[in-house]
Amino acid sequence: MKKKTVSSSVVRFEHVSKKYGSVRALDDVSFEINAGEIVGFLGPNGAGKTTTMRILAGFFAPSRGKVWIRGIDLFRHPQKAKRSLGYLPEAVRLYPDMRVAEFLRYVARLKDVPRKSRNIHVQGKMALCGLTDVGHRLIGRLSKGYRQRVGIAQALLGDPDVLILDEPTSGLDPKQIAEIRALIRTLGKERAVILSTHILPEVSMVCSRVVMINQGKIFASGTVKELESCLKDRQEISVRVKGRVYRQGAIDLLKGLPGIEALRMREEPGEELWFIFEIAREEDPRAQITQLFVQQNIPLVEIQRVKLTLEDIFLHLLQEGRFARRPS
Amino acid sequence: MKKIFVIAQKEFSSCFHSWLGVLVGTLFFILTGVFFMILVLSYAKISMNPQQFGLSSLAGVNQTQFVFGSFFTNCSLLVLFFVPLLTMRSFAEEQRQETLELLFTYPLSDFEIVAGKHLGLVWFFELLLLPLLGYLAVFHWLGGEFDWGPVLSGFLGFWLLGLAYLAVGVFISSLTRSPVVSALGTLSVLLIFWIFDWVETISDGPWARVFAALSPLKHFRDFTMGILDVQNVVYFAFFFLYFLFLALASIETRNWKH
Repeated sequence: MKKKTVSSSVVRFEHVSKKYGSVRALDDVSFEINAGEIVGFLGPNGAGKTTTMRILAGFFAPSRGKVWIRGIDLFRHPQKAKRSLGYLPEAVRLYPDMRVAEFLRYVARLKDVPRKSRNIHVQGKMALCGLTDVGHRLIGRLSKGYRQRVGIAQALLGDPDVLILDEPTSGLDPKQIAEIRALIRTLGKERAVILSTHILPEVSMVCSRVVMINQGKIFASGTVKELESCLKDRQEISVRVKGRVYRQGAIDLLKGLPGIEALRMREEPGEELWFIFEIAREEDPRAQITQLFVQQNIPLVEIQRVKLTLEDIFLHLLQEGRFARRPS
Repeated sequence: MKKIFVIAQKEFSSCFHSWLGVLVGTLFFILTGVFFMILVLSYAKISMNPQQFGLSSLAGVNQTQFVFGSFFTNCSLLVLFFVPLLTMRSFAEEQRQETLELLFTYPLSDFEIVAGKHLGLVWFFELLLLPLLGYLAVFHWLGGEFDWGPVLSGFLGFWLLGLAYLAVGVFISSLTRSPVVSALGTLSVLLIFWIFDWVETISDGPWARVFAALSPLKHFRDFTMGILDVQNVVYFAFFFLYFLFLALASIETRNWKH
């Protein structure tokens, strides 16, 4: 069965399932990834992220389904397909008794980097990942951040078209995280990058597309913007007022505004009151509210428009298992 | 296929990254040296006064057979204990450190991985054989005379035995993530094969013949006596390929278990 109808997609998962004994780790998962895309796999622990990454990297075969890498069946022609893959496992483990440059040269040979350009190639990747100064050091003696960089460098060897990064920033300090994210963005310009994470802000910072996965199933996929707009056509506005005596006045004022829903109030220490309500996304009543409150001499101390983060979307989708309007 | 050598090189050099390889090499060198010296000295003693040892004359004692035949038999016991130490790291250590995961995602076949790992160990084993050639030189220098035939066939047999034992070790190593379990498991299997050799001495039924036919030592003994039999070579080739195949099957199981 030749499938030459493949679109421009570099990676294609076709109805992939994976069982560990009786446990269904992946259940009929299909998706496509194009060059120049950075796709984030998002899911709670045990959702099937690492299983997806491992299948994609050719570590083990799925129980059912097919994986195509640039139109090549990964499990029928594994060696050919794996040439286009670079893989960084979760908590990457490398030979502790090898030196950084020695290890990278070894991997370069395994990945068919031609002998002539091998040294330059390895040095280039070391420079890209900031490893030039530690080339002679034993991997086992490196700090975790540096080991992670060695892991990324080995994934980049052979200039693969597809990069698979399983939790690339876990266990790193904030500075290293920022550096690695910047590196991933650079790499994603001409390649297909798939990264898994459970850190939600990372996805909106780095990825052009998000695939949300839970209990082995994809339950949402799209750009961050698409997901946001699907979830909610409403926004939340909070108004903070100083002085309990103004409670009724504020409520009356807000109730008078058009389109307001789900108004609620929260008392805070120091005589402060929070009024929170929802309103259609297109509306921005903040200026109007300020004006009204000033006219009525109600001391308005703060006004906030809360945009829903990916985190809210994710939690909602997890609870409901589908796109839905936020319940009010 | 080129990549078998890449992996073998890495395996071979990692034998020297830890003290284990160096220790095994040194110990093997010292012990074989001691065996050789004792055998040469005892031959010298017998040749001085054969009557004292119940021999009418020295004519019946073959110098080559006395020294080298016994020497290779002793060495075969040594490798029984050294092979588990050499092979315990090959897969078990990688599974413990979880470094295999990356190896499986490179453009390599499982066969290249298994064969490469095995070849690296074979190179190391061959390195251990080198000092034995030195003993030959020493023996010659002492004025000893030997037939090249039995000595060379002894070397060949010892090399085949080592390859076969290493294949057992690599297979057992692929079954576990603990190097200690791998070493003990390999030792047990090799000891069981060793015992096969004894069955014929206590019984001569059809089963005894089966065990004897399966015993590596029985096939090895022919080589030490200077008998080159194709049957024995074929036996070792099958033994070797069988365990190589088992190791290959064992690492392929990752596709359906976990």
